Amino acid sequence: MGEAQSPVSAVSARSEPGREAPGTQRKHREISSGISRNAKRRLVAWVCGVLVVLLMVFFLAPFIWMIAYSLYPSAALQGSTLDMGFANITFDSYSRLLSDSSFLVPMANSAIVGLSTTIICMTIGAASAYAIARFKFRGRQPLLLSMMTVQAIPVIVLAVPLFILLRSVGLYDQLFGLIITYTAFILPLVIWMLVGFFEDIPPSLERAARIDGCNRLQIMYKIAFPLAAPGMAATAILAFITSWSDFFLAKVLTISTATTLPVRTAAFQGLFAMDYTSAATAGVITAVPVLILTLIAQKWIISGLTEGAVKG
Amino acid sequence: MAGTLVEKSRKRDLRFGLMLTAPSVIIILMLLGYPMGYAIFMSFHQWNDKLGADHQFIGLNNYGQLITDPAVWAAMERTAYFSVITVVGGVALAVIIAILLNRKFRGRTLARVLLLVPWAVPPVVNGIMWKLIFDGSVGIVNTILRSLGLIKENIQWLADPTAAMNILIFAETWKLLPFLCLLMLAALQGIPESIYRAAAIDGADAWNTFWRITLPNIRGPLMFALIVQSMWSLKVFDTIYVLSGGSGGPVSGTTTINFLDYITTFSNLDRGYGSAMAVGIMLLVLIVSAFWIFVFGGFSRKRREANG
Repeated sequence: MGEAQSPVSAVSARSEPGREAPGTQRKHREISSGISRNAKRRLVAWVCGVLVVLLMVFFLAPFIWMIAYSLYPSAALQGSTLDMGFANITFDSYSRLLSDSSFLVPMANSAIVGLSTTIICMTIGAASAYAIARFKFRGRQPLLLSMMTVQAIPVIVLAVPLFILLRSVGLYDQLFGLIITYTAFILPLVIWMLVGFFEDIPPSLERAARIDGCNRLQIMYKIAFPLAAPGMAATAILAFITSWSDFFLAKVLTISTATTLPVRTAAFQGLFAMDYTSAATAGVITAVPVLILTLIAQKWIISGLTEGAVKG
Repeated sequence: MAGTLVEKSRKRDLRFGLMLTAPSVIIILMLLGYPMGYAIFMSFHQWNDKLGADHQFIGLNNYGQLITDPAVWAAMERTAYFSVITVVGGVALAVIIAILLNRKFRGRTLARVLLLVPWAVPPVVNGIMWKLIFDGSVGIVNTILRSLGLIKENIQWLADPTAAMNILIFAETWKLLPFLCLLMLAALQGIPESIYRAAAIDGADAWNTFWRITLPNIRGPLMFALIVQSMWSLKVFDTIYVLSGGSGGPVSGTTTINFLDYITTFSNLDRGYGSAMAVGIMLLVLIVSAFWIFVFGGFSRKRREANG
């Protein structure tokens, strides 16, 4: 059904009397169509509206449902009928988890690892991306291309060697081990995005600065970085989200002291028994920082995520 | 004189550029390049930590085992089932939804922002979420079906291998669809409106407009979406781990090739065989990407010929 309808909708939306030439188009339309066509168009619009609303419900409901779960004691959920009155709402599991050191430590670990990774990635990555965007040195194109190919490597290929490598240098189950590993994985993504942002800055501005006596380094951090600031902020947020959300590497490269929040959260589901309220609460706590950051940077994230694909 | 000055400046540019890129290159080589080479090295060895520290060189034996291992083929079958649905189905659905969202309607910006919610939810949380929804005793799905009178007894959804796999597909689709939609939406917005107007004047119907204007014009992004999604589908892990309680079960029902590799490497401690499997997965990713490039390359060539 949707398949047949959607193209109709696209065409009718596109061919609606545009602002540029309203007169001629409308006349053309009225002659050829009349009222029934108009009614049909309104029906299509209505159906599409309903579909959009349903879609949004589908995309939001599961998460809202998890929030609901985190607010009720397990007993209220396990009965044959759901007892979800407002009176039953309790923040107990939040206060319990947020005062439990076995939960707080992974949370702090995630924050430390996420922030450190982001700062390192942005410092090193911005410099590299700027060089790739500005200077025509040999190996520039292959370098950029290899940044993209890195995304294709399944993490599992690197898991055991990384495990052995980190263990041999004493960084297994250490925050620093996790930080440098994440840095290596996230750097290509950061560079890839930043090159795009730096290329958007007109070189004439930098030439002017050079004539005014700035050296290359000054041009970079006094002209280029401030001009690319919004893009850099979005990239930093993306780097943080990637590091914060990772489960696999944290699972493989840590065991106890350096465990991160996703690993701790995943541990709430046993194979047979599961503490539903705690699991939901941990899920909400893990997701909320990422959601807030995403909503703050939504405009830039959308363009950052889609631009490369659409341009290339 | 001027020539040497330019030369000098270029040389300095080069040095400055190398200086700025060196740290990134070193970190990436050390933590991605070296482990990568090491993995390939391991894959040629009998390297099982359960058997001891004697790592014998056995050439291609691990790869030979890979081809004859029934567990690998079963996992490949599940991977194919999972990937075809999430990649082809996911991208097709994304195109349809993007067309829907590309209409002018109130709240369009809001709808686009809300799409970011599933994208942002960490994969582990995604697993927990769907586990709560499909849980046998407290899941909302059972509650709804019961109150509708469709079932009398609670169904243990995640205890059935087939159902668990389909739930996994559903959960992953929920998470990946928004990104694909945003991608397709951006692609649609890149098509100049004048083409559609011209088509409408020429009397093209919706069906023709879609196949002859919309689709060819989003070819590049479409290929990108298919490649990226193939990569993601082949390395799905977190959601399986949480949904199956770290087992890839029930009865290996959700053990895709990537998860089988995890079990081989970290539960059975067969690092050598696991490395061979990982290299195989990497080749698979490359082959599938090449496949999409080939399909779309062929598509565009055919079009060019048709157009003269």
